[in-house]
Amino acid sequence: MIAQKVRFRLLDAIIVVALLGLAGWVYYRIAYGIEYKANWGVIPQYLLRRDGATGRLVANYLVEGLLTTLRLSVWSTLLAMLVGVLVALSRTSSSLFWRLVGGAYVETIRNLPPLVLIFIFYYFVIDQLMPLLGLDALLSSRSMGALRAIAWLFADPSLLTQLISGVITLAFFQGAYISEILRAGILSIERGQREAAWSLGLSKLDTMRFVIMPQVVRRVLPALANEFVNTIKYSSIASVVSIQELTFMGRQVVVATRAIFETWITVSLMYMTLTLTLSLFTSRLEQRLRARD
Amino acid sequence: MPSLPDIAPLAPSDAAAAPADDILIIEDVFKSFPGVEAVRGFSARIRRQEVVVIMGPSGSGKSTLLRCLNGLEQADSGLIIVDGIPLDDNHAHRLEIRQETGMVFQSFNLFPHLTVLENINLAPMRVRHKSEQEATARSMELLGMVGIADKASSYPAHLSGGQQQRVAIARALAMSPKIMLFDEPTSALDPEMINEVLDVMKDLARAGMTMVVVTHEMGFAREVADRIILMDSGSIVETGTPDTFFTNPREERTRRFLSQIL
Repeated sequence: MIAQKVRFRLLDAIIVVALLGLAGWVYYRIAYGIEYKANWGVIPQYLLRRDGATGRLVANYLVEGLLTTLRLSVWSTLLAMLVGVLVALSRTSSSLFWRLVGGAYVETIRNLPPLVLIFIFYYFVIDQLMPLLGLDALLSSRSMGALRAIAWLFADPSLLTQLISGVITLAFFQGAYISEILRAGILSIERGQREAAWSLGLSKLDTMRFVIMPQVVRRVLPALANEFVNTIKYSSIASVVSIQELTFMGRQVVVATRAIFETWITVSLMYMTLTLTLSLFTSRLEQRLRARD
Repeated sequence: MPSLPDIAPLAPSDAAAAPADDILIIEDVFKSFPGVEAVRGFSARIRRQEVVVIMGPSGSGKSTLLRCLNGLEQADSGLIIVDGIPLDDNHAHRLEIRQETGMVFQSFNLFPHLTVLENINLAPMRVRHKSEQEATARSMELLGMVGIADKASSYPAHLSGGQQQRVAIARALAMSPKIMLFDEPTSALDPEMINEVLDVMKDLARAGMTMVVVTHEMGFAREVADRIILMDSGSIVETGTPDTFFTNPREERTRRFLSQIL
C-alpha cells in the first residue's frame, strides 16, 4: 500500500464539528431531554460479585453471559465449518443426488428468517432429538470431575440441553452460508490444479485435502472470518429460547436495575471485545498466509 | 538420472497379443466435445524407451489425445492400454495408470501453497506411502538433476517460468513413472527459458524414458524423437522418423505444415 500523507482540510474540520455537535445533542437529549439519570455504579456488580462463602470474586450475570456466548459461538462455529465443508463438497460433487441435497439445504436455510429457524429447530431438537442422544443418562453416570469439565466446556448440566440445541441451530444456520463461501472458493481454483493432482495419481479425497482445500481456505479467509463474526452476533438470537448468553443476561440486568443505556452499552462493548479480537486474529492470519505469494 | 523400472510382462488381455515391447497401445480412439470432434480414430503403439513427438496445427486434437492417455479426458470409444493396464471404467485402473504416467502441463500447474520440495514430495508420500526422509532424499536428487536444488524451499510464485516447469518435471518424475507425457511444455515460456526446459527433457530421453511429447519445437523433435506423428483434424496424417519427416515427407499436408512453421 502506498503511504499517503494525511492532510487536515476545511471539509474535515466541518465534519468533525458536525460529529461533535451530534454527539453533544444526543448526550443532551439523554441527560436532560428524557430526564434519564445515568447510574453506571450498578453495572460492576453484575460483571463480578463477591462470593458470600469464600469471599472471592466470581463471575456474575454479564460475565457468565459472555462466557456462554463464547462457548455457544466456538462450538457452533466448529460444527458450522464441518457442515459447511460437507455441504460445499456435496454441492460441487459430480453426483446429481448430492448436488440436489446440498442445494435444497442451502436454499431452505437462506430463505428463512433466523428467528423462525431457531424456533423450529429449538422445539424440534429439544423435543425429538435430545431424548435420542440419551443425554440425561449419560450425565447421571459421570463423575464430579467430568461434570465440572462439561460445565466449563459447554454449560451447567441443567442447561446443557438448551446449549446443545442452540449450538445445533446456529451451526446449521451458519453452515449454509459457510458452505456457499467454500463452494465459491472451490469453483475458483483453476482446473489445472485438480488435473495436476490427478495426473500424479492422487485420489479425489487427497486432491481435495492437500491441493484444493488449503488453497480455498486461503482465498476465502476474509469472507469466512466475516461469517465467524456473524456467528457471534447471531448467537444473540439464542436468547429468545432461554439460552443464558450475553443478550439474555443483559435483559435480566435491565429488568433488575432499569439501567437501560448503561447495560446495553456494556453489553455492546463486551460483544465488541469478542468480535474485534476475532477480526484482529484473522487479519493477522491472512497477512501470514499472504507472505508466501 | 531416474532409474528405469524393470520391464514387467504385459497382463493378458485381448490387445496384449502385441509384443511385450509396446508399453502404450492406443487403438481407434475417438473423443468429441459438444460441437467438436477432437480425436477421430487415432491408433498408435509406443515402445519402451521410445520418444514420440506429436505435432500438428492448433485444434488438431493432439492435446486432447494426450489427456485421454492418462484419463484426464475420457475417450468416447477405442482402447488405451498402458503397460498392460487397460484404461476403462475401473477406477483402480485409472489411478494405477496415473501413477505409472507422469504429465507435464503447458501452464506448469504447480501447487502454489506448497514449497518446491513439498510439491514434489506430496504424491510419493500420499500415494506411494514413502516416509518424508525417503521422499525428500529422492526429491532433492531430482531437483539436482533439473538444476534447481537451491530452490527447494521456495514457493512457486518466486520462480521463473522455466524453473517452475523444471520443478513440474521433477514432480512428475518423483512417482518414477514408466511414461512421461508432455503437453506443450514450452509454449507458455519466454524464449530465453525454453532451452533450459528442453535440455532437461533431452537428458530424460537419453536416460531411456518413454516419452510422448506434444510440441512445436522442431529442434527438439529432430534431435531426440524416434518418431514424429503429424495430426490434423483428430487423426494421423503422417508418421515417420525425424529424417524422413523433415526432409522427405510423403504427404502434401505435412509439407504444407512444415512450410508454415519453419
